Amino acid sequence: MAGVRLEHVFKKYPGTDIASVKDINLDIKDKEFLVLVGPSGCGKSTTLRMIAGLEEISEGKLFIGDRLVNDVAPKDRDIAMVFQSYALYPHMNVYQNMAFGLKLRKFKKADIDKRVREAAKILDIEHLLDRKPKALSGGQRQRVALGRAIVREPQVFLMDEPLSNLDAKLRGQMRAEISKLAKRLETTVIYVTHDQVEAMTMGDRIVVMKDGIIQQAASPEELYNHPVNIFVAGFIGAPSMNFISGTLSEQGGELRFKTTGVDVVVPEGKAKTLRDKGYVGKEVIIGVRPEDLHEEPVFLEASSNTIVNAHVDVAENLGHEMLLYLNGIGTDAVTARVDGRSTLREGTNVKLAIDMNKVHVFDKATEQNVFEH
Amino acid sequence: MSGWEQLQRILDCSINAVEVPTSDHPELAGLGPGTLIDHVDGYLQVIIQSDNRNIRVLQVHRDNLTETERQLISWSVARSSHITTKGVSKQDAKSEAERNARALGDWIVRQSASGLTESIPDEIALDGRLYAEMIPFLLETEQATEAAAFGELQKLLVSFLDEEVIVIPLKGQEWLVLAPVSLVRDTLEERDEQADALEESLESIGSGLYEMLASEWIGECHLAVGRPMKPVKSVVMSVIQLQETIELGRVFQVGSNIHVPWNMHLERLLASIPEQVRLRYVEQALGRSDVFMETETMSTLDTFFALDCNVSETAKKLYIHRNTLLYRLDKLKQETGLDVRVFRDAVLMKIILLLYKVTKRA
Repeated sequence: MAGVRLEHVFKKYPGTDIASVKDINLDIKDKEFLVLVGPSGCGKSTTLRMIAGLEEISEGKLFIGDRLVNDVAPKDRDIAMVFQSYALYPHMNVYQNMAFGLKLRKFKKADIDKRVREAAKILDIEHLLDRKPKALSGGQRQRVALGRAIVREPQVFLMDEPLSNLDAKLRGQMRAEISKLAKRLETTVIYVTHDQVEAMTMGDRIVVMKDGIIQQAASPEELYNHPVNIFVAGFIGAPSMNFISGTLSEQGGELRFKTTGVDVVVPEGKAKTLRDKGYVGKEVIIGVRPEDLHEEPVFLEASSNTIVNAHVDVAENLGHEMLLYLNGIGTDAVTARVDGRSTLREGTNVKLAIDMNKVHVFDKATEQNVFEH
Repeated sequence: MSGWEQLQRILDCSINAVEVPTSDHPELAGLGPGTLIDHVDGYLQVIIQSDNRNIRVLQVHRDNLTETERQLISWSVARSSHITTKGVSKQDAKSEAERNARALGDWIVRQSASGLTESIPDEIALDGRLYAEMIPFLLETEQATEAAAFGELQKLLVSFLDEEVIVIPLKGQEWLVLAPVSLVRDTLEERDEQADALEESLESIGSGLYEMLASEWIGECHLAVGRPMKPVKSVVMSVIQLQETIELGRVFQVGSNIHVPWNMHLERLLASIPEQVRLRYVEQALGRSDVFMETETMSTLDTFFALDCNVSETAKKLYIHRNTLLYRLDKLKQETGLDVRVFRDAVLMKIILLLYKVTKRA
């Protein structure tokens, strides 16, 4: 097993002026489960393909372990890949599909057999070893593709949206299985996904990318609680964070945040930082997670200076929680997540308190989180 | 020249040599060259050579062989095996195979450059191995291959397909691979019932082959697969078609590495229209040419058309809400006057999109 290190890596395709991946610096530790996440076209797959050796690195250095591998062929990098459009070898049965890479590397027949059967057992596909791919379901094929990678016992696993062809139920199941597998095999995994739920639940560390640039690389908790900018704040979390544009002003010794339908007090700890950084009298954007809007009487009573009034446009009861789509708080729609037993209904007016201790404040021009810079 | 290669030509049927570990087939151990065994699947097996580790067997795929033909096969294999063992060293045989393949490759390149599509002359027809129907694969690698690539690729392909394959180096990073039709034999037997099954099966073999070559050999590459043909007569035509398929695939199917000619009819037609005419048409049809500048619009339309204009499936594939997709399509309708949910407009938009792609990259 080994770590992977990217130093000032760029990818530029011939005939284009703009780099698809810009100045990537990442130190992925041995046995770490790292997730690259971001919207389509953010450069996450290109980064993975450069690590795999399927794309040339235009500039920068890539190390697997201590070895510089920029010019090393994919087959010699000691990595195993599972991609979204994985193709099993259609003329071979499951056993042969899993054994082929080892056969090429001249493993002894007994060793191949041992590894294939062990991997099949882990993935619960022992009963499918004689079947051809066309006789397998989507989930079973996915397991075989994983099995083909596992038997290699590589230094690093690379996975690019490996679950995207599966239905929702199977995705959830396989998500847990891949996490378990990574722990069991004690190997380094680099996993690409567009799905922030996958990222949050699987990764030891998450790298959020946009326009070929790393926005933030941190643990799931750190990303959720301390996003460095509006993009990361909005990308991580479902429903997304609410962004409300308004002005900070001093009034009676208190710092207040004001906009349409909102006039709330900023807690002293946060107010001090904002004053120190010169934001008084300026326009800022505050970020409020849906769960930081409260309707419980106890909370309302304790937070009389952060109360807002809103109109419930839509109420979605998911059983364990209720999502309220509101207007009247700032100019855009706002989402609140409240208890599933709430009696609030569509078309009613509601009083909510913002948990101002948990809000994020972003600079209007740079979109950076004021408290994280 | 090997005895069994002549046999293929004489018998006009598929013949391939396979090597199996002796431990897997102990019943064949110790049998001498030329020994005939009828396989349960109906073909004839002839022992070429056997030792403690491996057994080389020739498989003759033809029904109703007469007793005389069987005896002649047995005699010629035994004799060919005898000559090979006594005469040519293995190393020389290998380099001769490469020399012959390169000579044939040079001939194909010359023919296609001069627009000629003649049959392969006997002296470079690889000892008659090109008479049976075969599946053509054209491989274009992104990185330059090394001097030893021929032997390496041939060995890899034989190991992967478990069949005799012919590897022919063409220009620079381009290779023609001819594989026996037996790879899709199951499909061929069902061909009458399922017309598309053969093409699906070829695409599936192509995908598997690409994945194997990308991860186990050369990295990024493009692969085109054609319908089975008799190389001796049709190899040049086939190479020209597959070269064009990869060229079109690189323009019209960005992100895909497997290309097949039967999915490229419209693309081929549109690529042949002169650039000035294409540009004029796009501008006239849309009233503007910057609609596709946003990659989001292009990827939305590509996915929408690839999924037969199915809104729900497209939204799912793009990981967006159905209403977001409808909003994008409505916006496009406002900008271009074309509603891609209507068949006539969808056809027009598809053509404009393809014309835009070929114009942009030309």
